[in-house]
Amino acid sequence: MIKKALVLSALLAFSAVPAQADPRQDILDQLAVEASAADANFSGFSAARGEKLFRTKFGTGKPATPSCTSCHTESPRNVGETRAGKAIDPVAVSVNPSRFTDPAKVAKWFRRNCKSVIGRECTALEKGDYITFMMTQ
Amino acid sequence: MQSLSEKVRVWDLATRLYHWLQFLLVMGALLIGFFGPEWFLDAHVYAGYGVLALIVFRLVWGFAGSTYSRFSSFIFSPRDILCHVRGVLKGRPSHHLGHNPLGALMVFALIGVLLLMLGSGLVVLGGVENQGPLAGFIGFDLGVRARFVHKVFAYLLVGMIVLHVMGVVLESRLSGFSLVRSMFDGNKPRPDIVHAAGDGFEPAGNADDMAGNAHPLPDVPARTGRAILAVIVSGAVIVGAGVLGSAVPASGFIDLPSNDNYSSECAECHMLYHPSLLPRDSWLKLMANLEDHFGEDASLDDSVTQDIANYLSTYSSEAWDTEAANELRTVDPQKPYEITATPFWKRTHARIDPTIFETRPVLSKGNCAACHWDAESGRFADQKIEIAHGQK
Repeated sequence: MIKKALVLSALLAFSAVPAQADPRQDILDQLAVEASAADANFSGFSAARGEKLFRTKFGTGKPATPSCTSCHTESPRNVGETRAGKAIDPVAVSVNPSRFTDPAKVAKWFRRNCKSVIGRECTALEKGDYITFMMTQ
Repeated sequence: MQSLSEKVRVWDLATRLYHWLQFLLVMGALLIGFFGPEWFLDAHVYAGYGVLALIVFRLVWGFAGSTYSRFSSFIFSPRDILCHVRGVLKGRPSHHLGHNPLGALMVFALIGVLLLMLGSGLVVLGGVENQGPLAGFIGFDLGVRARFVHKVFAYLLVGMIVLHVMGVVLESRLSGFSLVRSMFDGNKPRPDIVHAAGDGFEPAGNADDMAGNAHPLPDVPARTGRAILAVIVSGAVIVGAGVLGSAVPASGFIDLPSNDNYSSECAECHMLYHPSLLPRDSWLKLMANLEDHFGEDASLDDSVTQDIANYLSTYSSEAWDTEAANELRTVDPQKPYEITATPFWKRTHARIDPTIFETRPVLSKGNCAACHWDAESGRFADQKIEIAHGQK
């Protein structure tokens, strides 16, 4: 409990200053709150776990999309492609700084794509890890 | 002088030009119609307009041309025609300098069938393709019926052309000179001078023979000036009517407002399908099942889903009279919103190499715009097809 309180207060303190200027951090903060609520041992997001999520071939979702890489390609810096042939802007934040800044869009695409790829909705931890990985890319 | 008197100028230059130009245009239109790909439609249609211009000329020339080009020189009584047929059956037909009675019948029949083909073709173009001067006046159903007529007449025309060529071959053999050559240089030998004993013809004036013009007809000069005037006037009337008709908006189309939710949400993953491509019921089923949308979860907020569903069902195929809307209204009951599962889609794409759909730039059968440039307009004009046109 103490640990969780510490993490939360640290996150809140960290987010208090840049809150208005950094919508991506707001989204991450919100996910952190949800992740802590779900797991008392939550100790922050991990880019390494995010990368694993990105590359795992699940095979538990819809057959056409076993993995994030099915559409986003092996490198998040690449332009991806939908199955219908439309270009998908890169997911890597360095290439596409507007990524993960619109909460509605983030919610919509995690909901859809996690169901398509994994066959269920993603946890807050998975979403936070994924965004954290993309911020390093 | 001797040689001159043995030959008669039967076909004037204008008639010969008309004949060979019509030969080229009709053959071109037939070949494209029977064997050409859809995107040759323009060439087919322009050939048709060309034939129309030629027939207008021919009708004028039938009254204003020189002796043997005038209709009056080859209008025969039924009795003359019967006598000629009897002669042909006996292998000794009467000889005519201009058109013989059967040839004359063929001229009128060809002009008639060509006019019917031009008329039915314009109705198909306007009704089915929503193009051309009749697009604003003809509905799809009438267009489809005209398409049947157009096809039947096309086969009839092929049969008539075969008969025409057979007649030319027969008379050339019997007379010993080439009618084809006559249609190039315009001349025929005078039968009353060159008839040698034992050639294939009954001499003019024999019992079975009602031969009208084995002897040269009195020379009638062409009235070229009047003919040009008549062609210009009737041409202007026809072109004017065509331009006026073409200015009327195609009757199959209605105004389609854009819908922000539809354009932004749906076009994120795939081309923006025109609402006319599925019936109302299919759109509603599709929008009710976005969680399993062609193998992906494409779910949306309820309000957005509702808005898009309203838009699509308002402007669904029932609201249009285009070829695509009419044909795609019949869906596969098992796959009610899969356009590529409709009988029409399958039939019209059956001859395309399946690998084209799986490889770049097409990638999937649902990517209409990869080959139909105008797919997002719902028009799907034949001329706007280029198989895998994005391919480098």
